[in-house]
Amino acid sequence: MAEGSADVSSLEERLQRVEREAASKERQLERYAADLRETFKQERAAAQRLRESYMATVRALSNAVEARDAYTGKHAERVAAYGLALARATGTRLADDPAIEFGFLLHDVGKVAVPDAILFKPDLLSVEERKVMERHTVIGWEIVKDIDFLGEARLVVRHHHERWDGMGYPDRLAGEEIPLAARVFCVADVLDALTTDRPYRRRSSLAEAQGIIRENAGTQFDPAVVEAFATLDDDELHHIRTTIA
Amino acid sequence: MSARAVLVVDDDPFIRKLVSTTLEDVANFDLHQAADGIEAIEAAERVQPAVVFLDIDMPRMDGITCCRELRARLGPASEPTIVMLTAAGGDDVEAEARAAGADLFLTKPFSPLDLLRLVDELGGR
Repeated sequence: MAEGSADVSSLEERLQRVEREAASKERQLERYAADLRETFKQERAAAQRLRESYMATVRALSNAVEARDAYTGKHAERVAAYGLALARATGTRLADDPAIEFGFLLHDVGKVAVPDAILFKPDLLSVEERKVMERHTVIGWEIVKDIDFLGEARLVVRHHHERWDGMGYPDRLAGEEIPLAARVFCVADVLDALTTDRPYRRRSSLAEAQGIIRENAGTQFDPAVVEAFATLDDDELHHIRTTIA
Repeated sequence: MSARAVLVVDDDPFIRKLVSTTLEDVANFDLHQAADGIEAIEAAERVQPAVVFLDIDMPRMDGITCCRELRARLGPASEPTIVMLTAAGGDDVEAEARAAGADLFLTKPFSPLDLLRLVDELGGR
């Protein structure tokens, strides 16, 4: 009988020890989970801060280009907004690339190297002047080509004046040789150019601009992108034009 | 830089595994384990660890005795940093461990981030 109760009490002791150990393991695991949560939270916050500083840097660069040109005003911001709307409308993975907006904002960064006399000339450019003007794509590419976080968005800077029929610049790429981001962007770029007042002409209405873009599908523009452009809501385009001015 | 030996001593295989896994790949460490004080002394004499993580409550030989033994046997040539793994609220135990030659304390349940930070600091020594 005494032996039996000793067994019971030693069993109880062992059971209590096992329970204590299990509870301690559980607390230890909870501690790991808590650290993991904290680390993840910090990582997300750091990624957010990084993204914000990328954005601020890109905006500073694009503002530096825009500051020279009173006529284009917030062209880069507007065209980036049009470009993003159009990228979404194409239904491709383009809209998922967080850097694409950066490429849109920086498309004309090479214009920092174009002399005022050419950049602001109200008359038609001579052949020589046009050549200098066209170099902004290649100069822009030289400026951004080593910025890794831009990824494919860099290609917008080089190729936003290529044409679907191969008659554009600087590389005379044709059709799908032109990066999708650049094909999308050039429609947005032309839309903004047409719907903004310039020294040499008044702006077109949205309907007129849409007509001109439609007429140039297959020559200047990728027909599939123009098709996606046609699905965009007029109110959204109007909203971008009037709010980013 | 050659790998520095680290010895993890705890009778609970779960804790040994957790500490070892947490420290894996972090620094240039060569990780070893022991399940009690006697195994720890054998292992320490063999691998000459730079850092020892030492549990207090173990069968055969407890952590404080083991700590004192390690200090006596390893001598000044290979003074390891001894980190005691303690339960919360053990102030008396801490004082006793310090007297036995412990350098640092990590309270269970320990934070893996604290463990990594601690090792990071030791790496700079």
